Amino acid sequence: MPDSAIPATAPAFAAAAEAAIPPRRRPRWDRLGWSALTFALLALGAAVMVVPFLDMVLGALRTPAERLARPPVYWPRDPQWGNFVKVFSDMPLARWFANSAGVTLAITALQVLTSAMAGFALAKYRFPGRDGLFRFTLGAQMFPFFIFLIPWFFILRYFPLMGGNDWAGQGGSGFLGTYAALILPFAVTWYGIFLMRQFFMAIPDELLDAARMDGAGELYVFFRIALPLVGGGLATLALFVFFYHWNEVLWTMTVTRTAPDLQTLPVGIYLMRGTYENEATKSLQQAAVVVSTLPVVIVFLALQRYYVASVTSGSVKG
Amino acid sequence: MLSGLLTKKAAPWVFLLPIVLFALVFFVLPVLFAAYISLTTWDSLSPPRWVGLRNYGFLFLTDPVFWRTVWQTLYFATGSLVIGVPLALVVAFAFSRSRSPGVWRTLYTLPMVTNIVAVALIFSFVFRETDGALNRFLGLLGLPGPGWLTDPSLAMLSAILVFVWMELGRNMLLFAAGLQQIDPSYYEAASLDGASTWHLFRHITVPLLRPTILFVVVTGFISGMSYFTLMLVLFPGTQGGPSRAALTTGQYMYQMAFEDLRMGRASAVAYVLFALVLVATLVQLRLMRRGGVEVH
Repeated sequence: MPDSAIPATAPAFAAAAEAAIPPRRRPRWDRLGWSALTFALLALGAAVMVVPFLDMVLGALRTPAERLARPPVYWPRDPQWGNFVKVFSDMPLARWFANSAGVTLAITALQVLTSAMAGFALAKYRFPGRDGLFRFTLGAQMFPFFIFLIPWFFILRYFPLMGGNDWAGQGGSGFLGTYAALILPFAVTWYGIFLMRQFFMAIPDELLDAARMDGAGELYVFFRIALPLVGGGLATLALFVFFYHWNEVLWTMTVTRTAPDLQTLPVGIYLMRGTYENEATKSLQQAAVVVSTLPVVIVFLALQRYYVASVTSGSVKG
Repeated sequence: MLSGLLTKKAAPWVFLLPIVLFALVFFVLPVLFAAYISLTTWDSLSPPRWVGLRNYGFLFLTDPVFWRTVWQTLYFATGSLVIGVPLALVVAFAFSRSRSPGVWRTLYTLPMVTNIVAVALIFSFVFRETDGALNRFLGLLGLPGPGWLTDPSLAMLSAILVFVWMELGRNMLLFAAGLQQIDPSYYEAASLDGASTWHLFRHITVPLLRPTILFVVVTGFISGMSYFTLMLVLFPGTQGGPSRAALTTGQYMYQMAFEDLRMGRASAVAYVLFALVLVATLVQLRLMRRGGVEVH
């Protein structure tokens, strides 16, 4: 059977298979063998996925002496569980954690709100320029992040009337050194607008018009009628944005290199690497990584089902 | 309640106002600003000086490092697809036929939600030459353990392996979603006909999954071409790995801008890289359309 023929002629193929006499069963060894092979393959892959994490935990538990021994000890004989507590006094982990949470939640709230507003306008109103604007949001998605790194930095630096700047953007430091520098450039997601538009398109116009006939204003129609109907879409987008920005490093590192108070968990841990150059202190660095990874893993385990939906929602339809 | 505050005619513009303002300040202005800066010499301290196309000329004709980074970036993007996509496909196929997909999914998607600094630090220990977990394992098998992060000929391959590890969960989820849409009667019919599992995979799964495969390849290629945070953190304090062997174009641009303060030349690098990615994407979108994929 040539493989190219299958999609087009599959029904005929299925009918032919049913009519085939006598139907040949796959040999038992094949089915058993494949399910064993499947399991072995998945188990091997899972080990490759998980072992690096365990290696990190083991590293965090080693004593300085075990690290410096020649050859170095792999399995810690005297596990240093205290390292997971010590890191909180050794580095401003709590501060970084609060920064990560605050910045990520602010970005998530902003992106969900702006995506819903724009998606609703593009899906449910007719106005001149609508198609042009929609095409713009699609085209904007083509621009990679690295194009914006340099200009964003200076736009925030020379933002007029902010952070001591005059109207021409001179004299102060603009938004640099404030949380706004971490949040504002990510206030809008073009992809999110596209996604929310898709969800709003599914709402029948009659439903919204009926509310208008009853005297509901446009804000009421949006906030009280349309938004609740796309709750699933909002949650999908929110989760996707949350995990993405919780793990964002490049931009945050660029604008907080000289502002330690604003650093987030991953950026703080990365920029403090110089403190842990000494082999004896590396267990603490590894402990910090474990502590920084754990909360998001727990959130992920709880919300996994929805997160999976958010990853695949943007892919191929039909 | 709330009625009469906003007419139906004005409403869409009120809803779109924040996006339009954002687009002007954080999209249109930066795109134009970067284009202008790429035609100047600017150290960000004194005013920019107009040099015309000289930055582009330097990159194309004079700078030996630039082209090297382009090839290394292509190697990274292509390498991670060549290794990662078949792997994700096979895992998704096995996963979709297993009895407890939930457990496997959790394990395979863990790296997806781990931040890149943690991933890079985890692997900087796993890849250590003398006492890293990988070389210890190879030692148990009696194999020699190379310097994964210190040998210039291996550095980029190591970055590829980490990237594949990070992306496997995402690609697997996409493939699993595509697999769910394949009508099970195809498999039943083929099984009745005596087809082995390998034949099912080769002659039903792969052809019917073509749209998803193309989607994964195109998005993976774009992100691979633009990606450099991993290399930045995996090879700290170097100029892109041993002998710059893991220096990608994105990181070259970043160092030029924020370490050497050559904003003009760095902006030119950004635009050339953008053009390369765009051409490659358009070619692949054509292929996707021919493959029958609905692209938004």
